[in-house]
Amino acid sequence: MTTTSAAVRRRRAATAGFHLGAGTLALLWLLPIGLVLVTSLRSFDDIAANGLGSWPHSFTLDNFRQAWVDGGQRRALINSLLVTIPAVLVTLALASMAAFALSRYELPFRRSLLLLMLGGNLLPPQILLVPVSKLSELMGLHDTLTALIGVQIGFGVGFYVFVLHGFMRAIPAEIQQAAVVDGAGPWQIFWRIILPLTRPALAALSALSFTWVFNDLLWAITVLRSDTKMPITAALIGLQGQYVSMWNVIAAGSVIAAAPTVAVFLRFQRHFVAGLNLGAVK
Amino acid sequence: MTHHQPSRRRFLAGLGAAGAAALLSGCVTSGSSGKSSSGGAVTLQSNLSAPQAKAAMEDLVAAYGKKGEVRLNTVAAETFRTQLPTYLTSANPPDVYTWYPGSVADAYARKNLLLDLGEVWASPELRGYSKALNTLCTASSGKKVFVPTTYYWWGMFYRKSNFAKWGVNEPKSWDEFLDLCDKLRSKGVTPVGLGAGGNTAWVASAWFDYLNIRVNGAAYHRDLLAGRHRFDDPEVRKVFDRWQEVLPYFDPDGTAVAFQDASTSMLNGRSAMMLIGTFFADAAPKDALDDIDFFRFPVVDPKVPLAEEAPTDGYFAGARTGRRDEVIDLMRFLGTAEAQEIYIKGSSGTVLPCHPDAKDAGTPLVLKGRRHVEEAAEITQFFNRDSSDALQPTADNALTRFIAEPKSIGSILTTWQRDAEKIWNA
Repeated sequence: MTTTSAAVRRRRAATAGFHLGAGTLALLWLLPIGLVLVTSLRSFDDIAANGLGSWPHSFTLDNFRQAWVDGGQRRALINSLLVTIPAVLVTLALASMAAFALSRYELPFRRSLLLLMLGGNLLPPQILLVPVSKLSELMGLHDTLTALIGVQIGFGVGFYVFVLHGFMRAIPAEIQQAAVVDGAGPWQIFWRIILPLTRPALAALSALSFTWVFNDLLWAITVLRSDTKMPITAALIGLQGQYVSMWNVIAAGSVIAAAPTVAVFLRFQRHFVAGLNLGAVK
Repeated sequence: MTHHQPSRRRFLAGLGAAGAAALLSGCVTSGSSGKSSSGGAVTLQSNLSAPQAKAAMEDLVAAYGKKGEVRLNTVAAETFRTQLPTYLTSANPPDVYTWYPGSVADAYARKNLLLDLGEVWASPELRGYSKALNTLCTASSGKKVFVPTTYYWWGMFYRKSNFAKWGVNEPKSWDEFLDLCDKLRSKGVTPVGLGAGGNTAWVASAWFDYLNIRVNGAAYHRDLLAGRHRFDDPEVRKVFDRWQEVLPYFDPDGTAVAFQDASTSMLNGRSAMMLIGTFFADAAPKDALDDIDFFRFPVVDPKVPLAEEAPTDGYFAGARTGRRDEVIDLMRFLGTAEAQEIYIKGSSGTVLPCHPDAKDAGTPLVLKGRRHVEEAAEITQFFNRDSSDALQPTADNALTRFIAEPKSIGSILTTWQRDAEKIWNA
């Protein structure tokens, strides 16, 4: 009797401890986001007078207008979407075709090709900044969005091929053999059999690559120079002054900049989790 | 299956050839466009990304718009700093850049990256500029490479109402300054705010600069930063002996918070004063601006000629520009009193114009600042501007360490000298 009640009590304590611990962790994790949201609603004079960490003494939505209009975030957001959407679509199209060929056919050197792509991903991108900048200049593409799209595709494709290859390899060979028996060519097999089966992985990857390309700053400032062509990340650091930064406007700009990626993640999150699981349990 | 092989190989070869051809043709076109791009709008690459300064630049460009065409390109200050060498060496570069004169500009001039602006300096607009500005904008080769437009000053800033409340006055000499600190501490106020935390560690260099030009003089200071003296010399040691006298009065959070937060503390009366440049006023609430005042960094040795830090800002042009005549014309405009007044009116107004006839913002603070700089026998810029951006981190490391452990100053200076040598010899 006493032993079972002690066990129950222990289990209850453990549950309470777990919830308390996890809750605290979640709060800690949400704290910076909350701080950004609160800051984005305060006036600059309030922050200058009371400091960034104090309780808010003011409420204004003007920061969003300032970031959107004066800070040029509207234009920057359009630029970001102009880069991100084509880059994601083209990268996934190229990567899925390459992964299909590499995983479903006995191509010569396919192992070396895959290793090469993996090797390319292990390389820190920083060492390629100068070559990329010079090359884009040489090709007359410097300071164009095309150059940025090209760079994003080039650096994305290796990793996506690697992931999709692993995924497609797991699809049973019998499905493809049945299609061949029915008279399907490689293109039909790819389009009507393999690609639909890869959908979870594609959805997960597109959500991931959307975030990566959208949040990229390094390549944007490497190949772009005009403020009218800069994507949202570059516009966001543009809100920082040389000496003094208006943290309220920057916070409002960050909220604007984060909105599209959050929307994409909410839209794809079901696929995203499913994609991760499917990749893990082959 | 084998008959596919050759065709694929040929296809790949064709693809490679096409790619190479595209690359080569890119070469050719970019090579030719580098020379033939004269005409069209002059690009003015600006790092003044703060909303107010950016708006002032837009006013300036609009005012010039009646005479010629300029495309203003505002890039984040941090991006600008890291990308500037790339801009200057690229095949089709922007034409005019906001930047600093002195050794920073000279470093680019020595690599032949800057346009000779002798013609601009010979024009009537710039004839009245002071001799000090003349020297500052001349590269070591003797060529003029820079057009100065505005400058600001550094000083010990405080709130008038707070000083009145605590019943204290501006000190003149070093001893008076130490007395003031002592008195403030007895009232429970942190006497000296710093703000060398966050990513503004460079603010601590102002203390080093000022103590050095007060103890050893501006000439020694410049020589030291140029590598003609050593950081482990006894003269430098004397600077830190003085610093140690005042260090106990420093804000203990000095190296933890950025200067923007430190100035908030000062405005709220948690700390009493702060050695800072006028740009900090941009971070002050509007209603506090009239209450801000400053005093000269106290004189340590009256025999040393009075020097002040007054960093100058302005423009230089890339040597690879394809629009030389238009650039010269724009530079002449930027050097006029009219252009500088337009900028000062649009910006926060705590900067002073370089043109002797240009009107400043006219506030009591600015008038006092102008007198403050005019009384100085010598002008220094700032640590990084008098040396290089590469030397600044060595100072940041050394000074942050000194503030944390002032006892080990000997080894700190040895390390500083070793780190600085790597940069001077690079």
